Amino acid sequence: MIGPNKQIRAARYGMTIDVDRCTGCGACMVACAVENNVPPAHAGATDRNGITWIRVYKIDNGLPYPETRSAFIPVMCQHCGNETPCVHVCPQQAVDVDPATGVVGEMPQRCLGCRYCMAACPYHARYFNWWDPAWPKGMEKTLNPDVTPRMRGVVEKCNFCHGRWHAAKQQAAAEGKPDTEPVQYLPACAEACPIKAIQFGDLNDPAGAPARAAQSGGSFRLLEKLHTDPKIYYRSKRDWVRASANAPHPFAGQHEAGKENHRG
Amino acid sequence: MRRIPSPGSTKPERRTTVDRQLIPRGVKRCSTGKFLLWILPWAALLAFGLYSAGLCLVKGLNQTNMDNRFAFGLWIFLDLTVIALGAGAFFTGFLLYILKLKELRAVINSAVVIGLVCYTGAVCVLAVDVGQPLRAWFTFWYPNVHSMLTEVTFCISCYLTVLAIEYVPIVLKNRKLRQVPSFLVFEFELHKLVYVLAGVGTFLSFFHQGSLGGLYGVLRGRPFAFREGFAVWPSTFFLFILSAAAVGPSFILLTTWLVEKISRKNLVRPEVFGLLGRISGLLLAVYVLAKTVDTLIWINRTSPEIGFPAAQYYSWQPFGTWILFAEIVLFGLVPALILLAPQLRARTGWLVAAAAMACAGVALNRFVMTVQTLALPTLSFDRYLSYFPSWQETGTFLAVVAFGVLVYSFSFRYFQLFPSERELKFGAAAVRER
Amino acid sequence: MTSTRRDLFKLAGGAAVGALFTPAPWRLVTDTALWSETWPGVPRPARGEIRAKYTNCSLCPAGCAVRARCVGEQPVALMGVLEHPFTHGALCPFGLAGHHLPYHPARIAQGPVKQAAAAIASALARCAANERIAVLDLRPGRTASWTYRRALAQWKNGTYLTPPRTLGGNLAVNLAAAKTVLSFGTPLLDGWGTPGNVIAAREGFRLIQAETVESRTAVMADQWLPIRPGSEPALARAIANVLGNQPLHDAALETGLTEAQIVAAARELADNGPALVLDARERPEILALNQLVGSLGHTIVMRREAPVPAEWKNAVAATELSAVPDGSVRVLLIDESAPGPYLPWSAVEKKLVAENPVVVAFAWSGEGYGRHAQFVLPTAVYPEMVDDIPAAVDSPAAMFRLSAALVPPPADVVNPAEFVAALAQISATNTLRERADAIHKSGRGTLFTYADAKSTALKDVKADGFWKALNEGGCWMDAVPERQEIPKLAFGPPAATLTADNLPLAVVMAEAPAGLGSPILSKMYQESNLRLAEDRVVLHPTVARECGVEDGGRAILEAGCGRLDVLVCEDPGSPQGVVQVAAGPRTLDLCGSSPRAKVVRA
Repeated sequence: MIGPNKQIRAARYGMTIDVDRCTGCGACMVACAVENNVPPAHAGATDRNGITWIRVYKIDNGLPYPETRSAFIPVMCQHCGNETPCVHVCPQQAVDVDPATGVVGEMPQRCLGCRYCMAACPYHARYFNWWDPAWPKGMEKTLNPDVTPRMRGVVEKCNFCHGRWHAAKQQAAAEGKPDTEPVQYLPACAEACPIKAIQFGDLNDPAGAPARAAQSGGSFRLLEKLHTDPKIYYRSKRDWVRASANAPHPFAGQHEAGKENHRG
Repeated sequence: MRRIPSPGSTKPERRTTVDRQLIPRGVKRCSTGKFLLWILPWAALLAFGLYSAGLCLVKGLNQTNMDNRFAFGLWIFLDLTVIALGAGAFFTGFLLYILKLKELRAVINSAVVIGLVCYTGAVCVLAVDVGQPLRAWFTFWYPNVHSMLTEVTFCISCYLTVLAIEYVPIVLKNRKLRQVPSFLVFEFELHKLVYVLAGVGTFLSFFHQGSLGGLYGVLRGRPFAFREGFAVWPSTFFLFILSAAAVGPSFILLTTWLVEKISRKNLVRPEVFGLLGRISGLLLAVYVLAKTVDTLIWINRTSPEIGFPAAQYYSWQPFGTWILFAEIVLFGLVPALILLAPQLRARTGWLVAAAAMACAGVALNRFVMTVQTLALPTLSFDRYLSYFPSWQETGTFLAVVAFGVLVYSFSFRYFQLFPSERELKFGAAAVRER
Repeated sequence: MTSTRRDLFKLAGGAAVGALFTPAPWRLVTDTALWSETWPGVPRPARGEIRAKYTNCSLCPAGCAVRARCVGEQPVALMGVLEHPFTHGALCPFGLAGHHLPYHPARIAQGPVKQAAAAIASALARCAANERIAVLDLRPGRTASWTYRRALAQWKNGTYLTPPRTLGGNLAVNLAAAKTVLSFGTPLLDGWGTPGNVIAAREGFRLIQAETVESRTAVMADQWLPIRPGSEPALARAIANVLGNQPLHDAALETGLTEAQIVAAARELADNGPALVLDARERPEILALNQLVGSLGHTIVMRREAPVPAEWKNAVAATELSAVPDGSVRVLLIDESAPGPYLPWSAVEKKLVAENPVVVAFAWSGEGYGRHAQFVLPTAVYPEMVDDIPAAVDSPAAMFRLSAALVPPPADVVNPAEFVAALAQISATNTLRERADAIHKSGRGTLFTYADAKSTALKDVKADGFWKALNEGGCWMDAVPERQEIPKLAFGPPAATLTADNLPLAVVMAEAPAGLGSPILSKMYQESNLRLAEDRVVLHPTVARECGVEDGGRAILEAGCGRLDVLVCEDPGSPQGVVQVAAGPRTLDLCGSSPRAKVVRA
């Protein structure tokens, strides 16, 4: 625990995702599910009721073939820093923002399953357990001991691999480092990305890679116009990719008015 | 076909069954067999609905067609609608006990039953709708005071208690129950509380009707629903109160008329219909005005300020601008004008049609706030999605309808829901004799 | 003093009120939350000592180095070995979840081993002179492959079959040397070669991707040439014409590209060398461009095989499936335990004798050739199996690394190489060690060990130490010879493709082939549509309308040799006249040999 007269230097963990590097391989999605004990899909699950804490969307510039150009955008909880939309709607304080890390946390044991937070999230980054979590026989042996699987009827989402943060915190303590300083760690998606398109770190640390990348040109955030101050920064040199993050919908140049891209 | 026997006829006294003994004195109710015949299909529907709800509770919410995007579906939409329609209970109480509109005593009992039915049904459906119903009490134990849903939960559960207390005297006035002396005393004591209850009920109702509106208005991440407002309350907070107050009397009017038609009796004086219509029309007119102003502010300021030109919301079929027109003009302004015009209001057909339209308008508003809000994409690469409820969802909701009809039918049969029914009956008989 | 009943009530009431002022009841209520916080049926992860184990992934020929996070002995997460000089810590999504495979619902743990052996023996007994026993090895070059070749040498009509390949055996690709890469539909950035090596080399070359659909590689390419389906040879011809200063003729028309685009691509290949031309199907007329742009010896190099014991040299040579006469294979043993390119069943089937051939598939699931074989014998699966992984196509040097068993396999699994060796009555129980010793004896190259991320010259390592290092996570890399031999590409005639005119849609394999993966891959295939699942097809909305099918609806994909139930996905970014399918055993069986199909309403 933190002593009364110690000053905690608060971290603001965040990410920079280089869209121009992302090949859309899906390694982040798989690594995330493995790390966080997200079960494989129920036979009846679809892209609308499955659980993917991080989801890679294929987006395109809206032009017809062969002028179509696509890009991949991984979208997870954006850990909004300003009036976090999901936090103040939860009726029983199951969602909170950790002031020490800036991470938006979700307590599945507290969750009523009312799904109001899902309606509140503009990024659709929250997922509901429509089914009982089930693993094929024997596969439960491969579960990560640091993360408790969730029960059906509760909402879950990315928490920047809270288990890893906790382990890093414990290791720092074991090494005798002051517990007022933010720890360095990598969430599973950032670690697994084969092309290292995801950079993770403390945005408050101006020398850190994500902070520098976030400040550099071509950086943007999704739906920045809602002023929720998301902590996931994206980067792209392509104008249309940057525009798509905040474009009105239907996206300019979409194939037909009212016809969105079908690859989402 | 039921004949109305004249009081002078000397028919032999019928066999007195328990059913007969429970029916209030001085009113005529259909035969036990006929009543059972009426009950049976509703009971069957209730059984089917309970089976559907059971499936959702046992197997989980995968039985519904809701998904991560359509986190709310049929249930929430209809919950909001029945709660708005059930507002007649508090609003009639408010008019009768606080504003002393004595004419409304003729419908107050019926209004309480309707309120009870609507709120109980809504709460039951909510219990199926949440993923972990066993944790419902967490809201009271770990309340998040910033959440509109906390406010809704607190107010609805408190108000449901108030309604239940208000329902007790109606039950206790039953012919058979009055024979128990302590019930009589209890009822008398309760009766003294009625003004307090009406006041508390009004306060709670205003709040949760508002909070239900606030539920959507605060959604900063959903520009279609997000509204500016006063202090912590977005404009939808006030619009929901107004619209609920406006349709409450309309729904009382509509149900009373329906009960009259089904039971083939005069239950209230025509002036009461007129009064309900006038109140509803007046409030509806205010509501339509406020809603129009709100919509204009939203289209021209709130939405564009966060980068969402309002036109884009209506570029997705089938939710074109027609839905805005239908909500505000067709099912808002038109019924308001009808209800405000004395000549039109005097004709039952117009009056009832206008009341029905007003109810439909509010239902449409709740539909738009729930379904259209969730269907619309926020990210430019997001999809516009559609949703259709599964049979389990529909079934669960039908259970509420059947439950409502059953509770109302029993209440109507055994309790004095319309105090003027007896005098109207004798009046009619006297007229016929003359 | 007497106490009345009234006093008792008073005491109880007072106690109850008093209790409310103590923390006890409030604490109790809070604690009752516990019983709704746990939920029966939710598994509790096992706890234990956390350790790291190392191995090499054997799910594809890349053989990426793996660090397994284990609880006790059980791997719970896999990740790459960042310091590895060739795989650079990259793991693809399939490899990341490889530790789930032993628990896959499609896993076979038992099979008719005795019956299969008896059937093979009786078939061998009545084998006519012109009939043969063959082993189809999907990943040649392994130690097990040598065992097959030695075993087949024991029979006069033993044939060792491999999938056709030009690059990846004696010829390797040296991406690090390339400045310009023209790829004809090769999934270069989506699983081709060794992902880590491709990513490391990616900065160094300009990538031009000629492909009908905008695949993942096309998305990331510097330039995407959206060519008409099946016009790859035409584009290669056109580029050859530009390079030879010959007129383009109507090649440009055939590809759907403009003349300027073709000329620019050809110029880039010629001017910004060393260049490299790759083709997903390794068509000789396309690979021949390499000769024109001077890739040989630079970006396409000769590669030695890892040394083998001298006593293994009595082995049959590899034969390509197409070189075997039709109707001549009486016994076919297919080793699917080390996945490689899937040959359409129709191509395999026609090589079998007409009457009672015996087909045995060695596989961990029945989803591949097991659907066609009489016998499916269960094998171990990664990470249970012990196997070696030869160098991938993009490694200029030979490699030797083991996929060590991280978890024990089920009791009844069969080692396919040992099974075949037993049939041929040769000894093959310790082949991996023998091979390792042979490599050690050569003294060439270096050993990289994963746990300490150290490279050591092989001559500084003892034989036992080498073997131990290989088993605990290590990789031997051959030294690249000082003087490069200029390889010769042997170009056969262009392969004839069957065309069926009554089928309106060109089939494009939009998703690189991937075998059966962990159930968790549903995140990519089912719970998002990031990757195309084998039971889905992508159509342009107009095409879908013409076929009478709709987005999300069921349909039937019909090709020359069968039909498949599929789900339709509409995509306005898809070209007209094309149906995109994912490459997998079922779709390859259906459309692998004739690339045309039609989609009809189910």
